[in-house]
Amino acid sequence: MSKIKMKRTGFVLDMTPLVDIAFLLLTFFMFTAKFKSEAESEKKFQIKRPKAAADTSKLPDKDLAIIQIAIDSANIGDTSYYFSMTNTEDRKAVYSKVEGLTAEQREKNLVKVSLNVLDALILQSRLQNLKTKYAIDADKRIRYSWINNLTNVMRKNKANVFNYVTDKRQGNREQQ
Amino acid sequence: MGGGGGSLGPQPKAKRGKNSKRKKKKRVGFVLDMTPLVDIAFLLLTFFMFTTTMVTPQIMEMSVPPEVESQVEVKQSELFTILIREDDSVFYYQGILEQAQAQPVTMKALRSVCVEENMKQVNRLITALKADTSSSYGRLVQVLDVLNQAEADIVKKMEGQKRERKFTLAPVDPKELEAIKDL
Repeated sequence: MSKIKMKRTGFVLDMTPLVDIAFLLLTFFMFTAKFKSEAESEKKFQIKRPKAAADTSKLPDKDLAIIQIAIDSANIGDTSYYFSMTNTEDRKAVYSKVEGLTAEQREKNLVKVSLNVLDALILQSRLQNLKTKYAIDADKRIRYSWINNLTNVMRKNKANVFNYVTDKRQGNREQQ
Repeated sequence: MGGGGGSLGPQPKAKRGKNSKRKKKKRVGFVLDMTPLVDIAFLLLTFFMFTTTMVTPQIMEMSVPPEVESQVEVKQSELFTILIREDDSVFYYQGILEQAQAQPVTMKALRSVCVEENMKQVNRLITALKADTSSSYGRLVQVLDVLNQAEADIVKKMEGQKRERKFTLAPVDPKELEAIKDL
């Protein structure tokens, strides 16, 4: 009974748990991944959001109108208002009713607007859908007058409740 | 990599001699090379891991009083005013500007000042935040954030009593700007 000994090269490792975990992580990241929205891919600016203490509040994603106030990255000091809406149907209706938008802008989601046009946009979006929520996503470096003017326009259109978009502050460090 | 399943086909029994008496191994299932699958899985995993951003924006809800014709009467003694000057420094005063001296305050101290003032006049004190139009938006949010945190402290100190928060964003008065100009 002389069995030929098999030559063993290397060693055997059970990869099953590793692969299990890998797939688990993969599915997790796949489901949590959120891709850039239409408006985000159109924008040419970066907003440095102000930081606030972490809480559980979240930006609603239904019927949201976002008013962004951003500093143009190519041309520092050039601040302007940008308007976008998440509800495509409402957006089309609103954009078609507002004067002062070019034909090209009506096709897009993110539009660069003046305060007067913004006024009309807010009014129309409220007429179109009363449930529209408003979020102000502004750069922390801008002057308060931008916010103040916008708030006055919102008040005029009776959009008295709105949200400031902020980023989570890491840790509990107080700023000076 | 002997492909799947086949224990069929002609068995070369006779040539094996003694070994032919060995029991035939029963094969269950089949063998599949998982390597490419795992490769792709890891590739996707790394892709999603690197592209995910964990920081999601959060919101701070604000409500502003509606535009109404009639002015609401407010007792000045129940007014706690926080001012933000154009250089982003923060001041506060309680009551009437002419009587109370506006004082500079750091962001750190603001929270305890807020809690203190609110505990003096529980549920009656109205906090008004007035920012100069040239101050930065970032500072405004910082102050709002501090006020929110102070609110949590106040609720804790009130020990279960009902808290009515009274807060407003208001335009700044030129007189107030004059008072804090040189501080």
